[in-house]
Amino acid sequence: MKFDLSDDQQLLRSATADFLASECPIDVVRQVAESKGEGFSRAHWSKLAELGYLGLVVGERHGGQGLGPVELAVVCHELGKACFPGPYLDVVLAAKALEESGAASDVLESVLAGKSIAVLARRDTVWPGDKSNLRFSGDRVTGSSFFVPHGASADRLVVVAGDDVVLADGPFDVTPMPTLDEAQRFAEVKLDNPARRLGARGLVDALDDLAAVAAAAYALGLGEAALQRSVTYSRQRETFGKPIGSYQVLQHRMADMLLRSESSRAAVYRAAWSLAEGSADAGLVVAAAKAYAVESACAITRDSVQIHGGNGFTWEYDLHCFLKRAITLDQHYGTTIAMTDRALVAFEATL
Amino acid sequence: MDLSFSPDHAAFRKEARSWIEKNLDRTWSDALRDPAMGEAELVEFRRAWQRKLNGAGYLGMRWPKEWGGRGASGVEEAILAEELSGADAPEIPNTLGLHLCAPALIHHGTEQQRRRYIPAMLNADEIWCQGFSEPGAGSDLASLRCRAEIQGDHFVINGQKCWTTYGPYADWIFVLARTDPNDRYGGISFILVDLKTPGVEVRPLKQITGESEFGEVFFDNATVPRENLVGEIGQGWQIAMTVLGYERGAQSLAWAARLGSDLRALVLRARELGLTDAATRARLGKLVVDWQVFYSNAYRTLANLADGKAPGPESSIEKVFWSEYDQRLRLAALEILGPGGQLTRLSAHATKDVDWPRDFLWSRAESIFSGSNEIQRNILAKRVLNLPQG
Repeated sequence: MKFDLSDDQQLLRSATADFLASECPIDVVRQVAESKGEGFSRAHWSKLAELGYLGLVVGERHGGQGLGPVELAVVCHELGKACFPGPYLDVVLAAKALEESGAASDVLESVLAGKSIAVLARRDTVWPGDKSNLRFSGDRVTGSSFFVPHGASADRLVVVAGDDVVLADGPFDVTPMPTLDEAQRFAEVKLDNPARRLGARGLVDALDDLAAVAAAAYALGLGEAALQRSVTYSRQRETFGKPIGSYQVLQHRMADMLLRSESSRAAVYRAAWSLAEGSADAGLVVAAAKAYAVESACAITRDSVQIHGGNGFTWEYDLHCFLKRAITLDQHYGTTIAMTDRALVAFEATL
Repeated sequence: MDLSFSPDHAAFRKEARSWIEKNLDRTWSDALRDPAMGEAELVEFRRAWQRKLNGAGYLGMRWPKEWGGRGASGVEEAILAEELSGADAPEIPNTLGLHLCAPALIHHGTEQQRRRYIPAMLNADEIWCQGFSEPGAGSDLASLRCRAEIQGDHFVINGQKCWTTYGPYADWIFVLARTDPNDRYGGISFILVDLKTPGVEVRPLKQITGESEFGEVFFDNATVPRENLVGEIGQGWQIAMTVLGYERGAQSLAWAARLGSDLRALVLRARELGLTDAATRARLGKLVVDWQVFYSNAYRTLANLADGKAPGPESSIEKVFWSEYDQRLRLAALEILGPGGQLTRLSAHATKDVDWPRDFLWSRAESIFSGSNEIQRNILAKRVLNLPQG
């Protein structure tokens, strides 16, 4: 038994951390997020492609790295610490769907090369106003898809239309769906586009656990970053002649943040490992990890705003970026409420 | 990363499980929860169970063989604890002796002390209680005032110990006593005291559960031979802190298993009662999520233990998580099961598998004992986050 990452996985972690530290420090993230552009940098995107990150979980035979859920968690964990913007996970999932389908190897190749962007528009992102009613006629897909991540940047979409998973070719009719997380460019996409069938909907359902683990790992990174900022700030900021971090009321708050953060780390990596191993209880472990890690990231980032006092409420400080991304993750890749229920259903099935 | 058990560990689990199946009389757990059963009888039940475990070599798992241990690894100890917990096996009466006093003897005691005390401790011929806490020294243990004065070949002990688990049924107590009033940590010594010594009196202390497994121990000029000192004069604090660390890690998996059995009982009971409303399901779902996260923490601890890493201050996370989770579980049970959840064993309508009201009350102790959760949070803030001193 060993909890620590393997040497290769640690290498992946440090390489990713180095890449992000040099290319994408928080001020660059914010510049990109606050610009009128795509919400992510094409230069970063090319580098991600070049370094093989886009095909991380795609088999080597198909031009990917052939790695699994643990490595994807390692990468997303680092992306979360950096609050990295853009459709990384959505493209990784689309690439995986393309690989599994085998029906569009030309597209897969171009996506992995960073030449075109295909995102997976997950059908579980629903809200009471959702009127999406996608239909596939054999060569066209019609209807609307909502909350498509970075829909305006996508050249192709992987969508679920009835019982089919289809690949729709752009360009698309997109309307922005701005949310509180300004870096996250969601879009409503009105489809009347040429499309080809990739497979049955099970093709996308099978990626639910991978998506959930990756999102949970990203959330873990967000929480760790916010906790670390809070600790640093509370050592420096003084009130009544003492650093605020010396007050027990704040120490206990940060101890609770640490408890959540460390427990999320255990949960996320155990979930990734269980998924990689195909353990019988992987569904339960993954659902629990997603629900807990995202709920924790939301709590930790809220607390970090409080610990930074009035400064934490300013646009200038970076904390709101982490808070907003955590809140985005609560509603995507399986909502916290849905994941909690999934965990209960999975547990009941063992009784 | 590898969270799987090795074939050897799997074989050990299988062997332990089948031994438990053969040796644990299922009616025991009913008997343990029978309201007609007196506390003294319960202790005899537990004593008999400990003897069975000892006979099979399932005690002192990590100790060297020469001292009656098994020389096994922390992972095997954790597996056994998980199996026992999952089988609802009774607690043994000498837990504190075996977990705290025996390691102190093995690592700091004399050959003679080990020979004299350890076999009787393993076989529950002598039950030990722990004399650390005092009315004025709980969380701030080093402020303890129970004095041991050296007079020739003896210590003369005066003072009081309290919240002494199994005190009323114990034969011996291991005491932290002050041998130097001017040295806060270096003035504490670790001394073994026979509870039959003149001047020692044990009084039961009734808990909010109505039980009296706790006691208070009074020392009034109790004279104890100097050979009952463990280690050196003034080494007591160091010994106590080291032995408190030994058990870290091996219990987490057992805690997770126990929480899982009770969560199962709650979910099944809610189903029997037809409680399928959204509020109940949301609450049960949250309990399942947090239980799994606790399991993940336990697996990490265990894997680190197997990987040769000594558990550090982060074991405070497990203590806080476990105790507060258990409190949430018990509270949820009382609220979800309605007035029926408050029925005691004396009612024929009470559930047989879990004593919800008793366990709810007991859970209130969990955030207080073994270092209160406030102290655990101080440890996390200072030793892990390195926050400045107040």
